[in-house]
Amino acid sequence: MAVKTITQPTSRPSRLQKIWKSMSIIFESRVATVGMSMVLFWVILAFISLFWTPHDPNASDFIQNQGPSIQNWLGTDHLGRDLLSRLMQGTQVILLKTRLPGDAGISIPGGVAIWGVIGSLTLGSVLGLNAGYRGGWWDQIIMQVLDALIAFPRIVLYLVVIAALGQGDLVVILAITITGAPGVARLARSLAMDIKTRDYIRAAETRGENVWYIMFREILPNARGPLLVDGMLRVGYAIFAIGTLGFLGIGLPPPDPDWGNMVNEARRNIFSNQLAVMWPALAIASLVIGLNLFADGLREEMTRYQK
Amino acid sequence: MARFIIRSIISTIITMLLVSISLFLLIEVGSGDITVKILGVFSTPEQRASYAAQLGLDAPAWQRYIDWLIGNDWRAKNKVGYPLVTSINPQTGEADWWADVDGQLTRWTLEEGRLLTLKRQDDGSTTSHISSGAWQIDEEGREYFWGVDVKNNAVMWVRGAGAEVWALTKAGLRKEGDGPMKYIPLRKGLLRGDPGISLQYGRPVAVTLVSRIRNTLVLAGAAFVIIMPLALFFGILAGINEGKPLDRIISITSLGFTATPEFVTGIFLILIFGVWLKVLPAVAIFTSADAIFEDPKLIALPVLTLTAVELGYIARMTRASMVEVMDSAYIRTAIIKGMPISRVVFKHAIRNALMAPITIIMLHVNWLVGGLVVVEVIFGYPGLGYYIYKSAIFGDFNAVEAAAMVTVAIAIITRLFGDLAYTLLNPRIRYS
Amino acid sequence: MKKPKITKFDMEKTHPAIPNAYEQLEQGRISRREFLRFSTLLGMSAGAAQFLAACGAPPAAEEAAPVVEEAAPMGGIKRGGTWTSSMQLQLLDHPARLSWVEGANVVRQICEYLTITGPDNITRPYLLEKWEANVDVTEWDLYLNKGIKFNNGDELTADDVLFTFGEWLNPDVGSSMLGLMAYLSGMQDVEKVDDYHIKLHLQFGDIAVPEHLFHYPAVVLHREFEGDIIKKPVGTGAFTLEEYAEGERAVFKARTDYWQMGEDGDPLPYLDELIYVSTDKDAGVAALQSGQVDALYDPRPTDFNALKGVDGLTITPASTAQCLLGRVRVDLEPWDDVRVRNALKMCQDRAKILQLAYFGEGDLSLDAHVAPVHPSYCEKDIPAYDPEGAKALLEEYAAEKGIELPLKVSLATKNDQAEPEIAQALKELAAPGGFDIELDITEPSGYWDRWTEVDLGITSWTHRPLATMVLPLAYTEESIGAWNETRWFDTEFEEVLREAQGTLDVEARRGLMCKIEDIMQERGPIFNSFWKSVWNITNSKFQNIKAHPTAYDLLYDVWKDE
Repeated sequence: MAVKTITQPTSRPSRLQKIWKSMSIIFESRVATVGMSMVLFWVILAFISLFWTPHDPNASDFIQNQGPSIQNWLGTDHLGRDLLSRLMQGTQVILLKTRLPGDAGISIPGGVAIWGVIGSLTLGSVLGLNAGYRGGWWDQIIMQVLDALIAFPRIVLYLVVIAALGQGDLVVILAITITGAPGVARLARSLAMDIKTRDYIRAAETRGENVWYIMFREILPNARGPLLVDGMLRVGYAIFAIGTLGFLGIGLPPPDPDWGNMVNEARRNIFSNQLAVMWPALAIASLVIGLNLFADGLREEMTRYQK
Repeated sequence: MARFIIRSIISTIITMLLVSISLFLLIEVGSGDITVKILGVFSTPEQRASYAAQLGLDAPAWQRYIDWLIGNDWRAKNKVGYPLVTSINPQTGEADWWADVDGQLTRWTLEEGRLLTLKRQDDGSTTSHISSGAWQIDEEGREYFWGVDVKNNAVMWVRGAGAEVWALTKAGLRKEGDGPMKYIPLRKGLLRGDPGISLQYGRPVAVTLVSRIRNTLVLAGAAFVIIMPLALFFGILAGINEGKPLDRIISITSLGFTATPEFVTGIFLILIFGVWLKVLPAVAIFTSADAIFEDPKLIALPVLTLTAVELGYIARMTRASMVEVMDSAYIRTAIIKGMPISRVVFKHAIRNALMAPITIIMLHVNWLVGGLVVVEVIFGYPGLGYYIYKSAIFGDFNAVEAAAMVTVAIAIITRLFGDLAYTLLNPRIRYS
Repeated sequence: MKKPKITKFDMEKTHPAIPNAYEQLEQGRISRREFLRFSTLLGMSAGAAQFLAACGAPPAAEEAAPVVEEAAPMGGIKRGGTWTSSMQLQLLDHPARLSWVEGANVVRQICEYLTITGPDNITRPYLLEKWEANVDVTEWDLYLNKGIKFNNGDELTADDVLFTFGEWLNPDVGSSMLGLMAYLSGMQDVEKVDDYHIKLHLQFGDIAVPEHLFHYPAVVLHREFEGDIIKKPVGTGAFTLEEYAEGERAVFKARTDYWQMGEDGDPLPYLDELIYVSTDKDAGVAALQSGQVDALYDPRPTDFNALKGVDGLTITPASTAQCLLGRVRVDLEPWDDVRVRNALKMCQDRAKILQLAYFGEGDLSLDAHVAPVHPSYCEKDIPAYDPEGAKALLEEYAAEKGIELPLKVSLATKNDQAEPEIAQALKELAAPGGFDIELDITEPSGYWDRWTEVDLGITSWTHRPLATMVLPLAYTEESIGAWNETRWFDTEFEEVLREAQGTLDVEARRGLMCKIEDIMQERGPIFNSFWKSVWNITNSKFQNIKAHPTAYDLLYDVWKDE
């Protein structure tokens, strides 16, 4: 039984084996493979942009609003900057780094979308596990609060949080965390309610384990799969949200390009230069589609496994 | 069943209260000192304090919350000593506050140390008289007077101690003498339909909000009517053809549309239909308040944009649910029994497959509101979302709170309906 | 060429300074344009002045740009139709307190000005029949047209004008007219001679009085005005206000008893209805292309770029004294040090900034708030881009202060016309000069909330026909607390400015302007790369549209040809 392998670490397969095993699930699904390659494309591009872009992304070296050419593969924007370079560097803030506030200009690894989703997964799991496992009043109160949070239209929450705290990477992360947590919590709750009826939880309870130990060492590892798939979809929503916030002019702050503020800047020139808004939008769409396909494929394979 | 409904309604009310408290706290506390935003960071503390008092911000937070929710005229009434009533100003169509002094609508103003009584005449004009003997004496021996001023505040004047008031004009702050010592900006409160004055436009929020809500409901309603049948049709079609080319085409197209941000879809629809082909109005230009009824084509492109984004999402949900149902034991049994596929689908599968999408759609309403904000901003559509956006950018908390509460109410009420619909469709809950 | 029929005596009768100016014109020392403006300001009719200018100017001095003639009779005029425009509508109450041209455009349809400065920069009488000035331009006689009726039936008299002056000069109203009319010490300087004759007694001479009377808050109000034009929209204008909803729309209907007559002998206006719809510019551009609106208020360069090839739109450009002005707070570090200010000025590659921000559509500028379109502008070399020079200055400053370069500063502006582009370009251009500029770009209302307070910012300034109109507004000790966003003032500067305001002779004035420009370049608080071009973009169906440098909508004699 799979349960034993978790409670008795000694019999675990080696880490490498485990990774290979989960990777092989991906390749069994064509959908997941396509999705993963779309995501990987952007991740690799992001890493490349750390060391090299075709031109300086912020320098106005070219003629404004030009279409694609040999020199500028994707064309130039309204300030005569190379769109490909900006598109490449735009992946960094989303996927690779988060700029901390203050004058020092320090960044931490992990993009805004990634940290936002990690935040909602953490907060959501804590709430959902407590509600689902403990039940009773815990469940009532947590669900009531979550209902209230869910009732908040996301965009209103974004607007209010950003209007209150100002623009910044951390603020966007906070906004993504808060808006994402209720969904995660609902999922975690239903998983916990399902898992808590299993024998091994009973066993742990009989052993007199601490409630938190049961929730996080017994239930969470078994709910990991669906939560991770959900998280992957959420990265997509988060990128989508960053784009939307950029369009509304309240997204990530300049000067580093990100897809959201590229959209925002290009929007004013939309009637003379459609490409400048097309590229970041296509980038957002392709990454979101990639993540969706990846998650869909994984979910399909996982349900097939369970059967 | 009845118990379930009652429980849902109680839970809804608690949720609304929770939301209103957290929204109030988030905006009022989180946005810091609004007077700094309005007056500038280099305004003096006295200027800010004076301006905050005029906005009623010197009251404690709980007091402001209650004022915001249920109004403060009942509180001010005790101070003034007369019933406080509103009358519609014929010129602006907005409500003015008056004290009802034995049937005569009255306000007061202090000019050069003299208290003037302003009496409203039947034709809407006012006459002013010098009032005498109105002053009262407090414990410290000061002469004071509580009345209603011309700016719809209940105020306390103290004779000989007129506070200096810093009033904001677009050319900067200016000082006005003879200011009152205390202000209660009169309002009826959100629950009684008066969310206060917009800090951005200086007009009652309610006046603007009503037409905005109507416009948004028209837009969202039109989109809903188009999206629902189409989404369910495509979703079911894809679901019963799971894995076949038709399914793949539908699934990939809907994923593509869902993953394309609203602003891209909207901008390109404007370009194609409004600017290049010139067959539909490019943006929502409201030359009169009822423009959408006079020219329904105005909402064509906004509706199309919403459709493009939402259709795919709901179709995907329906498909997933359909696939699951088609996979279930009773459907398989029916098929094995030799029942024609069409009958299986129409008689058994669809009804069960619809349950999940309906709840999801109802939960999805707040996502739809998000899409609405973006669509309204692109098309300049004077709806609720655009209003929230403009007000939040400005920090106009009266407007944001009111408008956000409306969206929350819509989200919660639709969810209540979703729960009810689910109950009706699902026999297991219906009979338990 | 015919000899002028207007004799020197005739000229002298209008104003003693005119013959002298005519002489300067004949010798080619001042341009035809300058003569026109000058003589009309002193009360000469525009027709006579144009006649003189045509005769007096030597062919060599003829300018390339023709002077706009008074509208020729057009014929084929049609009545009726609606004109719709896209323009943001804000809170509006007291016209004298206006600080937004948008609001002024609303008020302008209901109320009118005493004078009118045309797109040709020539000021003509409007509500006035004529005006006269004395020799040293300290006394001005204003004569009102008779028989002008307000839309409530009352006749316009000197009382209304006096009331309006009272509102301007009342510090409690908070009008920018107060700073502009510093030459009036109070209502004791405004004399009612009779019902149609007002006399102004100036504390010091100023030739620009007629132009001030067309400053956008300067509409004439009814004598019983109560402080809110929306609640009581009484005025002499060609239209009446039907509806005003902030953030939504403004609707006007034509009056039937307007005082000005059309070509066909009936009262103006030709149009039946005006509608302003409050939308964002982006939506406005789309609406203009699809024919949903007929005009767009103050198009941005990107809008011009998008609309320039579109059929059915008429685009009329105008050079202006409008600018997106970089400015610093000289009472705050590090901008209190003139070297830092000058270093930033040197970091402007003006031509490049103009190209990036405005697609090259504008005139390059000095770092002084005086534009080439201003009369008596003193021409100087446009400073070159000099990052090395800037760096040297900054290094000196940094060494003194014991700080390290790059100097970190935060540049605040609004996401409005082309400010973000200028800010972006400046950030790049100033990096080699030793500045590290952080951008703080907000929505327009967010910036206007603090425009006088930020330490480094880019503020948009509207066109004013004279440098002597804008300089006292923003660069004097008196204007601190009002429109002086930099807190900069300078004794020598103020002396020269006062002198220029009272100097009649165009050439002498130019000399003073040279000094003013030098002072501002040398130690002033502003940096400016270019003066904007503006465009009036209107549906070609509309005739007699005037492209005004300040985006004023003057619609009483516009007509629509379907």
